[in-house]
Amino acid sequence: MEKGLRYRSRLILLFIILSYRPPLLIANQPGAEEKDLVIIGGGVAGYVAAIKAGQEGLKVTCIEKRGRLGGTCLNVGCIPSKSLLNNSHLYHQILHDSKPRGIEVGDVQLNLQAMMKAKDTSVTGLTKGIEYLFKKNGVEYIKGTGSFASEHEIKVQLNDGGETSVVGKNILIATGSESTPFPGLEFDEKRVVTSTGALSLEKVPEKLIVIGGGIIGLEMGSVWSRLGAKVTVVEFLDQIGGPGMDSQIAKEAQKVLKKQGIEFKLGTKVVSGENTGDNVKLQVDSAKGGKPESLEADVVLVAIGRRPYTAGLGLENIGLELDERGRVVIDSEYRTKASHIRCIGDCTFGPMLAHKAEEEAVAAVEYIKKGYGHVNYGVIPSVMYTYPEVAWVGQNEQELKSQNIPYKVGTFPFSANSRAKTNLDTEGFVKMIADPETDRLLGCHIIGPNAGEMIAEATLALEYGASTEDIARTCHAHPTLAEAFKEAAMATYSKAIHF
Amino acid sequence: MYATRVLRQAAAHAERTPLIRFIGKRSIPENVDHTPQPHPASPSGALPSSFGNGNSHASFSSYRDHAQQHGPLRKTIGAAGGIGAQSAAHLGPVEPPKGVYFDRNELPERFRRTPLTAAEIEAVETGGAALFG
Repeated sequence: MEKGLRYRSRLILLFIILSYRPPLLIANQPGAEEKDLVIIGGGVAGYVAAIKAGQEGLKVTCIEKRGRLGGTCLNVGCIPSKSLLNNSHLYHQILHDSKPRGIEVGDVQLNLQAMMKAKDTSVTGLTKGIEYLFKKNGVEYIKGTGSFASEHEIKVQLNDGGETSVVGKNILIATGSESTPFPGLEFDEKRVVTSTGALSLEKVPEKLIVIGGGIIGLEMGSVWSRLGAKVTVVEFLDQIGGPGMDSQIAKEAQKVLKKQGIEFKLGTKVVSGENTGDNVKLQVDSAKGGKPESLEADVVLVAIGRRPYTAGLGLENIGLELDERGRVVIDSEYRTKASHIRCIGDCTFGPMLAHKAEEEAVAAVEYIKKGYGHVNYGVIPSVMYTYPEVAWVGQNEQELKSQNIPYKVGTFPFSANSRAKTNLDTEGFVKMIADPETDRLLGCHIIGPNAGEMIAEATLALEYGASTEDIARTCHAHPTLAEAFKEAAMATYSKAIHF
Repeated sequence: MYATRVLRQAAAHAERTPLIRFIGKRSIPENVDHTPQPHPASPSGALPSSFGNGNSHASFSSYRDHAQQHGPLRKTIGAAGGIGAQSAAHLGPVEPPKGVYFDRNELPERFRRTPLTAAEIEAVETGGAALFG
């Protein structure tokens, strides 16, 4: 009996051993919660995607290494530059444009520190606002540097020290871009600066050279020119404004900015540069060769463009491909070749614009949640916030010409607009381009007061396939600058009334 | 008032038709093709061959390099720590260090498993019935 019991107990033990199954690990890390979406980057693309994902009921984590949300745009781009552009414009206007308006002003002083503080207040308010929106929409926010440990796991070096990792069903790369360096000129952000340094100069430079006559260069050049710097813009191409700006508008913008005191050297390449510590010396030459010249400045702003930023992301760990310009290769649904990893914003295809990134953020989350999203890459507006502003959407004349697409043009000058007249602000015009047969709007280009706001109407019209007659037959309030927009539409399909 | 309405209705066909249209409430199409297509802003207008028919891997070995099973299966030659990353000579001697054994049966006898007796084996094979035979 005793022997029988001993056998039975050993037998039971044997059955237990034979029937043992190890517990199955669900995620890569035992105990790690799997998120529906992990976003690397808390810039405009990343934070908008995070909020949208929260609204759609996804469990979402956003990883940002700057320690502040909003990315380049909010911290060192669109937002601080608009603060400086607006306030430097007011200063310039008080100095030079108050007498004709019947305003006698006494001694006007620039307090650069206070102007910078106003800029910082705007930035802080907006970045804190995003943190609030994260909380409101249930977004987990990790301050740290994320990199791929595997296709589903992101390792995060926390800003406060230590390390953690996050596992996601879906992962969104939204790491943005950085200023392209100029070979031979090292950024010290004091004398050789990127747009970031140009937003925080400690004093107004006597001479400022801007390498690159694109939007960023012209905006920052305008700020320091208004505050008293002698600004020279060196541009390799024969036209300012960068890609997309209509040639006629670019010429007008150059004329107006020149009148404001900015000097232009177009068709000119910078051969070499040297930062002596006291100043910066540049050797420039005609783009076609043969006219060498030396330039000197207290500060040189390098604004030759931006490049995608994916360094340290560990893309090589998961075999994701970059194209020859460092952009993450994606398909039409923002998927990389690993279909659960998507990429949006500056680090992939398309123009490097904050509003394009926002559109993509919403679309990418909709693709994840609903399987359907929408971004119309043919209708993305561009705005240059100089004074006057320049804005455009759709195709320009030179693009249509090069593709042999027939078109008709209508323009209307602000000098014939009643509101612009009362504002004593009449520089610029509205230009519309339409299909000669169907009258469908193909593009709209504006230089003038409030162009950046006015372009929204053209964007809506273009998105919905409106004709210029549709715009012209829509009632516009009087007296408004928007009447110039309506009259340009009238000029395109028929004739303007007031010009 | 009524006359005006009639006149307007009569003239309706003569009025111009706007190009802009009310497209109705937006809805998600029932059938959406999710096959990878080139991104509209892609400069090349083409996808690399690795984006094929929803299968992101060109070969089984490529799939295995990226597959997940209780953690990554990736063992890329040349990558730190992967199989084949180091030559055999760098891996050290084949013999275990002192005090380390590869198998339980190399341990002193008292640590080894107790061998099953013939009666126990029979008991297992008969589902325990042999105990009562």
